[in-house]
Parts: sequence; structure tokens; C-alpha cells
Amino acid sequence: MIIVENLVKRYGSHRAVDGITFEVAKGELFGLLGPNGAGKTTTIGVLSTLLPADGGRASIGGHDVAGDPGGVRRLIGVVPQEIALYQDLNARDNLLFWGRIHGLGGKALGTRVERLLELVALGEHARQKVETFSGGMKRRLNLAAGLIHNPEVLFLDEPTVGIDAQARTKLLALIGDLAADGLTIIYTTHYLEEAEQLCHRIGVIDQGRMVAVGDKEDLISQIGDEDRVRVQVPSERHRALTSAAETWPGVDSVSERRGKLEIRVADGGAVLPPLQAWLAAEGLDLAQLEVIRPNLETLYLNLTGRGLRE
Amino acid sequence: MRILVLVRKDLLRAWRDRRAFVVNLLLPLLLTFIMGLSFGGGIFGKSGISVIPLVAVGEDVPSALRDRLAEQLAETDFFALEWADSTEARRRVTRGEAAAAVVLPPGAVGDYFRGEELRIDVWKDPGRPLKAGIVEQVLQRALRQVQAGEAGYRALWPDDEESMPPGAEEDTWSDLFAGDMNTVWKRWRRVGGEGGFTEVGEWFLARMDHQVALSDAMAESRLDLAVTDAAATPDVAESREINLFSYFLPGFSVFFLMFGVAASARDLHRERAAGTLQRQLLAPLGTNHIMTAKWLSSVVQGAAQMLVLLVAGAVLFRVDLGPDSWSLLTLVVLTATAAASFFMMLAVVTPNEKVMDNVSTTVVLVAAMVGGNFVPVDAMPAWITYVGRWVFNYWSNSGFSLVMVRGESLAHDLQPAVVLAAMTVGYGLLALAFTAWQRRRGGLL
Ligand SMILES: Nc1ncnc2c1ncn2[C@@H]1O[C@H](COP(=O)(O)OP(=O)(O)OP(=O)(O)O)[C@@H](O)[C@H]1O
Ligand SMILES: [Mg+2]
Repeated sequence: MIIVENLVKRYGSHRAVDGITFEVAKGELFGLLGPNGAGKTTTIGVLSTLLPADGGRASIGGHDVAGDPGGVRRLIGVVPQEIALYQDLNARDNLLFWGRIHGLGGKALGTRVERLLELVALGEHARQKVETFSGGMKRRLNLAAGLIHNPEVLFLDEPTVGIDAQARTKLLALIGDLAADGLTIIYTTHYLEEAEQLCHRIGVIDQGRMVAVGDKEDLISQIGDEDRVRVQVPSERHRALTSAAETWPGVDSVSERRGKLEIRVADGGAVLPPLQAWLAAEGLDLAQLEVIRPNLETLYLNLTGRGLRE
Repeated sequence: MRILVLVRKDLLRAWRDRRAFVVNLLLPLLLTFIMGLSFGGGIFGKSGISVIPLVAVGEDVPSALRDRLAEQLAETDFFALEWADSTEARRRVTRGEAAAAVVLPPGAVGDYFRGEELRIDVWKDPGRPLKAGIVEQVLQRALRQVQAGEAGYRALWPDDEESMPPGAEEDTWSDLFAGDMNTVWKRWRRVGGEGGFTEVGEWFLARMDHQVALSDAMAESRLDLAVTDAAATPDVAESREINLFSYFLPGFSVFFLMFGVAASARDLHRERAAGTLQRQLLAPLGTNHIMTAKWLSSVVQGAAQMLVLLVAGAVLFRVDLGPDSWSLLTLVVLTATAAASFFMMLAVVTPNEKVMDNVSTTVVLVAAMVGGNFVPVDAMPAWITYVGRWVFNYWSNSGFSLVMVRGESLAHDLQPAVVLAAMTVGYGLLALAFTAWQRRRGGLL
């Protein structure tokens, strides 16, 4: 449905999007995960025909983004990162307006607006000015405005920014439902949990480059599947524990990390009995121990050397 | 028509926006009301005044300035001014040949330009239905002209020794009021020749602050008027009655229209910042649609605002809107279209709302000053009207003076209408071309 090849977008000499490539199948919910300034919004800008690309190609539903922008626009709905609504109009008038400029009108539009307002749970606030809405309500109306013309592809640019956990859960459930109904969605976020929980596939983007693409398991397997067992013991015992641990089954390496010892091992569970035995023999406490399984966070650290939320 | 959908949205927003309603309509109405009251006309007082013969005394007033003032007063249709010495003046007033003598004591004009109050004695004929207030109004008006000249002049040429030769002050002023653009123009060229055009531009911008300050100063009167009765004489027949306010109402309405239209054009920046402009571009709409719609809603709002003010003037103060209402309506619409095109262009070349705000406020004030919104165009120093020709409001004001004051139809003198239409198209196309270019580079977002 969406094919992106080697896409480049420059601002002056700065490459905001630096040759990214990915594909999204019909009905797929694709997550674009990256920190602030990674190039997510810019990518969506190019895909939605608002920004001209400086290199590479992209097409949506067979329509080239540069060659047939009109065809692309008919297919897509965009929910921008900002609340792109008329704050001084009420919810209903906003949706009516966005419907009308897409050529909708009459009864059909009226019904569509009512349905959307119900969908985003704003039915009771239809005649209330948007400026009086809470952050979550505005986000939901912003989403509804992107759906007004019944698009086949939806771009969601950080739709959960600035709202509380409860509102976020509701919004995510709503987006999940839309995907279940067969909408193709590109969802950008810098929240790892959202991408993990919601998306079928994830592209990790950093400094304009796609550093990894795949489903969650694919991505994790990219960093190897070693567990890390961290244990805190008095520093004078480090040597003793290191030499002991190196003899245990499956252990790859042992290193010191911020005052703790980190044991890299294929299966963290396998070293627990010998470790327990060693600790008991030394008369030490078991409480100071953690097992870290590889996840997207560690993948992200591995790929970019930075945390997602620095 | 999708354009109408966009226009409808803007009008709906304007209608719901109480603040815009107050700023663009109630405030101008209130100010017009106060102005109208201070001119004392319509249902609140005397309806008009007649053409009045005046005699002026000012031994040390430069002759160029004398001629200019006499000419201007004659153009107002209110007064016929002649200069005389003080004995002759007193004789004329007592004989009833002049309604009043306006006396500028020796040195008064020079003192005025040194920042003192202008001391004027008026000897009036007690048999005339001439109110001191009216004389005062007219003198204030003449003074504002002088002050406008001063403000404009100082804005263009700094106060330093070089541009204002020491001891030549009065010559400079008389040059200015005799409309001697040559001398004035030479200075401009000299500045341009030395530093190149950019420097002149920057330097000109720096002057603008000064000009805004001066425009404030202009509004403030520095007139000290002493009216004394001369000997009684028989009544003289009244002639044509004119409401003084009809001179000022169109100027005020055009002035407020400029602010109103600038505010609608500024909405382009707000929509861009809010992302609603980008969202519109995702619909099957081109930038031309969007710009045209914005333009059209500015036109509708501007024209409506102006009509309300004019009609309020006519109803409340019996301002004569002229015999030809089609001409008036056409002029109102052309003023609104030219203003909308102009401010759209300003909106697209400015990078954001803040810059647009600052630029448009400055432009409105300067344009209002040189285009004749504070001082009627037919009563301005010649060189200001020369500069004024480049701003659309000059042509609106000329048009209104034609239609409302002289009571002619627009067809009588096509120039104002044609220039306004040309400016509408010219500025409009520039705005569209610039937007299309920006859109291609992706700079619109
Ligand atoms: N109009 C612009 N002019 C110049 N640089 C820009 C512009 N828009 C974005 N950039 C730069 O391009 C890079 C990518 O920006 P983009 O907005 O796409 O990031 P993002 O991933 O959406 O970030 P965020 O999570 O903060 O929204 C950033 O370095 C940004 O500074
Ligand atoms: Mg972004």
C-alpha cells in the first residue's frame, strides 16, 4: 500500500530525512518510532504531499507522491502532531467544514459527522467550542477530522502527546479498532510502549535514518537474544564472583557496570541456581539481583547509543 | 464552490469572535461617534456652517506658506482667506467684509516650530453666526497639516545639521509648503547615492519609529486661541451648508478598514501556525483557492465594516454620503479589495504573525498619514500627495472626496477607481505568485 524508497528531505544542508526505505502493507498498523527531531513529521509531510522530497521515491496505493499528489490526497487522511482545528468554532462546525472542503455535503455529511463524534466520544460536546476542550478531547477531535472523508490510509503523528494516561489508553484503543477495521495506518511516536503494544510492525528512525524495521521479535533478535543478569555484591568479591561465573553453563561474559556485575548469558534462568548457591556460600543476600531480557529499549540503545527519552 | 466553503468558515469565525467584533466594529463606531460629536453635527447639534470670508494677519509668515494656506482654505469650501496687515484686517471685520481676522503675532510661527504653543488671536464679527469652536476646528486642521508636513519631513530627513542647514529652517518649510519637491528630492538622492539602496532602506525603516511617535504628537493640539469681538455689523446672508464631518468620516473609515483587513490577512499566519492551512492543502484545494478565499473574506469583512461606519455617520451625524450610492458602494468595495490584496501580499512575504503585525501596523500608520486619512487629500502639502499616490488609501480618500464631498459620480473622474482596481489586481497577483513559489519549495509549511 505504501512504498518508500530511499526518501531524502533536506532543510538547507541538514538532512531531516536521509534516505529511508520501508513498505507498509494494506491494513497494517506501522509504527514509526524515534526521538524528537528524528524526522518522523518530515517523513509524513513528504508522504502526505505537503513537502516536496529532495530524493528517492514514495507511492501510496500506486500513486506516486510527487507525480500524482491529487491521487495520493484522495486516499489519505492526516492527523497532524498539532491540533489543527479552529479553536473558535465548535466540534461539529469543525468537522462539517473539513468534510465540506473534501466535497462532502448534505445529509451524508451530517450523518458522517454525528458518527465520528460518537466514535471519538464527543457526541455530548458537539456544540462546544474547541478552545474549551481538554487536551484529550482536542486530540480525539483532531483524529476525527482526519477521518472525515473516509480515507484508506491514515497518518497519525504523535497523537497521544500531552494527554494523561487514561485518555491515552482510550485513544490507543480507538486506533486499535480503526486498524482492526482494515485501515492502513502509519503511527509515529516516541513512546516505546505504544509502538510495542499497538503496532504490527515498527520502523525505528533516528537522525533521518531508518535504523531497523520489522515486527517486535525481528527487531529484538537483531540485538542477539542474550539475557543480562545484574547482581550487586561488595566490590572486594567481584573477582571471586567473576571467576566463578565464567565456569557456569551458557555464560558469555562477565563485566563490571556501575558497581554491579553483569553476566551475559543465553538464558538468564540457567545461571540462577549456581548464582544462588554461590551467594549462599558467601553468606550474601539474594535481593540485589535483576535479570534483563532484551527489549526494544535495549535495541534502541544499541542502535543509536541514546535513550528514547533523554 | 469550495472557495465559498472557506469564506463561510472565515465569516462564521469572525462572527463568533467577540473580540474581533469589538475591535473592528464597535471601537471604530465609538470613535466615529466621539469624532462626530466633537464636530458638532447631525442629530446632536448644529447641522452645518457656511462659507466664511476670513482675513489673516501674519507679518513674518513666509509668502510661500501664506499662499499655500490661502489656497488650502479656499479648497475646503468653508473659507475664503485673504492676507492683510493688521489695520486693514480690523477695518474689514468691523465693516462686515470679513467674518473674522486670524492674527498670528510676530514670531508666533517661528516659535511654533521651536515647539512652543501657537498663539493665535481671533477678532470676530459679533454679528456673524460664527462660533469660536468652528474657527478653532479649522485652525486645528490647518495646524495638523503643518504638523503632518513636519512629521513627514522629519521622518524622511533626520534632524542633524547636514540635512537641515542651520539658519535655513524657515526656507525649508516654505520650500516644503510651496511643494518644492526638487530640493526635497535632491536630499533623498544624495542619501541614496552615498550608501546604496539597502542603506537607504534601513535608514528609512529607522525613521519609521520616529514617524509613529510624531503621528502621536500630531494628534495633540498646541493651539492657544484667543477670540475677541470686533464692532457689531449687520448680518450677511448664509451660503452653502457643509457638514465638516463629511470630510473626516471616509478617512476614518478607510483607516479602520486597513486595520480590519490587516487582521483578516494575518489569519493566514495563524492558520499556518495552527496547522489548519496544511490541513486545507490536504483536501483537493490549491493554494490559489485558499488565498482567494482568504482574500474574499477580508473583502467582505472590510466592506461591511466600512459601510457600517459610513451609514452610522449618515444616520447619526447627517453626513452627506453623496447623491450616487452606486458610486459610493463601488468605492467601498474597491477600497476593500485593494486593501485585501495589499495585506495578503504583506502576509505572504512576512515570515510569521509577529513580523506581520509589526509591519502592518507601521504600514497602516504611515499609509494613513501620507494617504490622507488624517488630513483630507485635497488639503495636503503637494509633496505628501506625491508620496501618497503610491498607497491605495490615497486613492480611496480621493474617491470619497469626489463622491461624498463634491457629490460627483465615480465616472466623473475615473482615476481613483481605476488605480484601486489596478492595485487590487497587481498586489493580488503578486501575493498568489509568491505563495505558489513558496509552495513549490515547500516553504509554505
Ligand atoms: N521547517 C523546517 N526548517 C528547518 N528544519 C526543520 C524544519 N522542520 C523540521 N526541521 C528539522 O528536521 C529534523 C526533523 O524534524 P521532524 O519534525 O521531522 O522530527 P520529528 O521526528 O517529527 O520530531 P518530534 O518528535 O519532535 O516531532 C529536525 O532536526 C528539525 O529541526
Ligand atoms: Mg514530529
